[in-house]
Amino acid sequence: MAYIITNACTGCGSCSRICPTQAITGEKKKIHTIVPDLCIECGSCGRICPAGAVEDAFGIASVRMKKSAWLAPVFDLKACMACVICLDACPVGCLAVGPPEGKDPNGYPRMADLSSCLGCGLCVAGCPADAITLAPRMAP
Amino acid sequence: MGNGYMGKVLIVDLGTRNITEEEIPDRIYRQYLSGMGLGAYMLYKHIPAGADPLGPDNMLGFVSGLLTGTGSLFTGRWTLVGKSPLTGGWGDANCGGTFSPAIKHCGYDGIFVRGISETPVYLYINDQGPELRDASQVWGKDTVETEAHFRKDWTGRQLGIACIGPAGEGVSLISGVSTDNGRMAARSGLGAVMGSKRLKAVVLAGNKRIVPRNRMEMKRISAICNKWVQFQPPFMTATMMAGTGALMRALPSVMAQDGLLYKMMLKKWGTVSMNQMSVEMGDSPIKNWKGSNRDWGLFKSHSSNPEAFSRCEEVKYHCYSCPLGCGGICSTTGKFQETHKPEYETVLSLGGLLLNKDIDSIFYLNELLNRAGMDSISAGHAVAFAIECYEEGVFTKKDTDGLELTWGNSEAIVSLIEKMVAREGIGHILADGVKQASLRIGKGSEAFAVHAGGQEPAMHDSRNDPGFALHYSVEPSPGKHTVGSGLYYEMFKLWQVVEGLPRVSPLYMKGSKYKADEDKAKAGAANSQFMNIVNGSGLCLFGALLGSKRIRVFDWLNAATGWTLTPQEYMAVGANVQTLRQAFNVRHGIEPKSFKVSDRALGRPIQTKGANKGRTVEIETMMRDYWLQFGWDPETGKPFHETIQELEAGL
Repeated sequence: MAYIITNACTGCGSCSRICPTQAITGEKKKIHTIVPDLCIECGSCGRICPAGAVEDAFGIASVRMKKSAWLAPVFDLKACMACVICLDACPVGCLAVGPPEGKDPNGYPRMADLSSCLGCGLCVAGCPADAITLAPRMAP
Repeated sequence: MGNGYMGKVLIVDLGTRNITEEEIPDRIYRQYLSGMGLGAYMLYKHIPAGADPLGPDNMLGFVSGLLTGTGSLFTGRWTLVGKSPLTGGWGDANCGGTFSPAIKHCGYDGIFVRGISETPVYLYINDQGPELRDASQVWGKDTVETEAHFRKDWTGRQLGIACIGPAGEGVSLISGVSTDNGRMAARSGLGAVMGSKRLKAVVLAGNKRIVPRNRMEMKRISAICNKWVQFQPPFMTATMMAGTGALMRALPSVMAQDGLLYKMMLKKWGTVSMNQMSVEMGDSPIKNWKGSNRDWGLFKSHSSNPEAFSRCEEVKYHCYSCPLGCGGICSTTGKFQETHKPEYETVLSLGGLLLNKDIDSIFYLNELLNRAGMDSISAGHAVAFAIECYEEGVFTKKDTDGLELTWGNSEAIVSLIEKMVAREGIGHILADGVKQASLRIGKGSEAFAVHAGGQEPAMHDSRNDPGFALHYSVEPSPGKHTVGSGLYYEMFKLWQVVEGLPRVSPLYMKGSKYKADEDKAKAGAANSQFMNIVNGSGLCLFGALLGSKRIRVFDWLNAATGWTLTPQEYMAVGANVQTLRQAFNVRHGIEPKSFKVSDRALGRPIQTKGANKGRTVEIETMMRDYWLQFGWDPETGKPFHETIQELEAGL
């Protein structure tokens, strides 16, 4: 189940530059393609495509959004069990374990590099405790 | 729709530099699961009989767990498999951290290497595929420096790195493989196999997704487990734990243990919570297994009180998918600024086993051994062996390079271990474990070498819990404490979900533990079978100790794979894996009887004082009864010819 690029592609290369798995290939000004085996369905190609040329596995066209309007994870630390599944799920490594606070000796996940966050939600999908939601990102 | 596993493995020949993928049929996962089982399948298939463990024909496997990455909890462990140079037979070691999901993100359930490279190399895998690269820049570096080298300037998904340190490079037979800056897959001497192949590291940067069949069901079962993990009463103190151990020693009866208490201790302090408690109850071998709690009382062991570790713990460390977090990162003084919190095994093997009260030296040695990539259990035993040799006149000061090797002399202990890491002088003799050392030295020193089939047993005294004696002696990889014991059986509570297994009475007399009977054989076999499932799933032993109704591994496996197997059928899978591993040993010329743990660990001679006074273990009867449970020849411990033929037909 991978995303696909339609004929509306202008070959600008934005998608291949942002793809965290280098799954998109194509020459400049020519239609790009996604290697299905490498696609992890993060959707970042769709969010950045100026031509609206990306469709998800169900044929739904992605909508371009300004990066400042992309969503980013918010952690409910009461539900979080610090299992670090989210850190592993993140394809760009933008999360990190923070220092412990108060009497709790555990370190919990936090956003370490918002500028590289793709807003893909793979951390949300992986969290077994439903402790992560996506919300509009704060200005860095 | 996924089924939790990736369906293929990678095979790398370091000699020819040929890299191939092998598809694994679904029926193999159904027969053996992943992890330990898949490792056994691959090694049985690919290693020719009689292969030299340090030669090109040996195969070393890094295998993830079937449940790793599926939304289950406690399933971040991976298994290192290969023919052990320490025992000459099946070898496995297990480790947590973040490496296990990284294997699956590369699209494989296991990565297997064979052959020997002419020059040092590392294996790098990303989404574009695997590649062997030159490792000359990191060869000679310790494990922490090696990881730092690869992580420097890295951006993107966190890397999975497994590497060897100088001990593995020097083919020390007690070396292991490190991940996450010093978390060791330490046992079976498999670091030496990696070193012999000149493979410095495996660096993983894949992005493949791991998809279970029913993620919602996985989540539901995980929520049940997490509820029990988060239950934590606030009133426990470290001294209370030591007192509990003393009480357990004094009482003539035993209350069957519930894993929830152990979970609470682990969550609060980690494995060091057992430091004093174990000594008090007779669970920790003292003074190279010839001493007792009388030699290492509460006052002497006070420096290893769990609170001493909490005080310098900077942050708790959670392995992948672990809600408990028994690990920690501690600050230290001296050469190193921080270290992974030393584990119980390390503290006692470098502490009570040597009568070493100097906790600072233990912190230092913990980091030194982690960086060198050397097994702290075996290293502690090697030092204890050397001290006893010195005490008994086998070693003179000339033999010890001038070291005054006496019990508790922390400066000499540190120097000796530094020599072992560097393979200098006396350290060269000891760096291959106690069995090899005693063979080299002779002069009656074998009496001081405590081991099972060549591997040093862990810091759990088999005179206190004969279940440890059984599993030290009958497992295809002997001397390990992570398979079974009477205590583990009580905590697993398998009889709650598997029909036909003996129940443990909530209160029983201590003397009954030492009677070898059919129920104990059944319990021992169940432990082995269950731990093959646990290690096939990538599950942590500490998670499994919660009890089978609280951590529903069989339900997780069904939800992840889409299978509808019963717990009984899974236990049969565990038995298959055990038979395959034992058949591996038989094929490689191992006589299972020769793995019997040393006499000292069996109460021979019987101790005359201390917690284990008067106790002896009927090991021969126990081993025989255990082998009968698997349908193997009870006299030799070997599976019958027909059993092996049937097994090979199914490969």
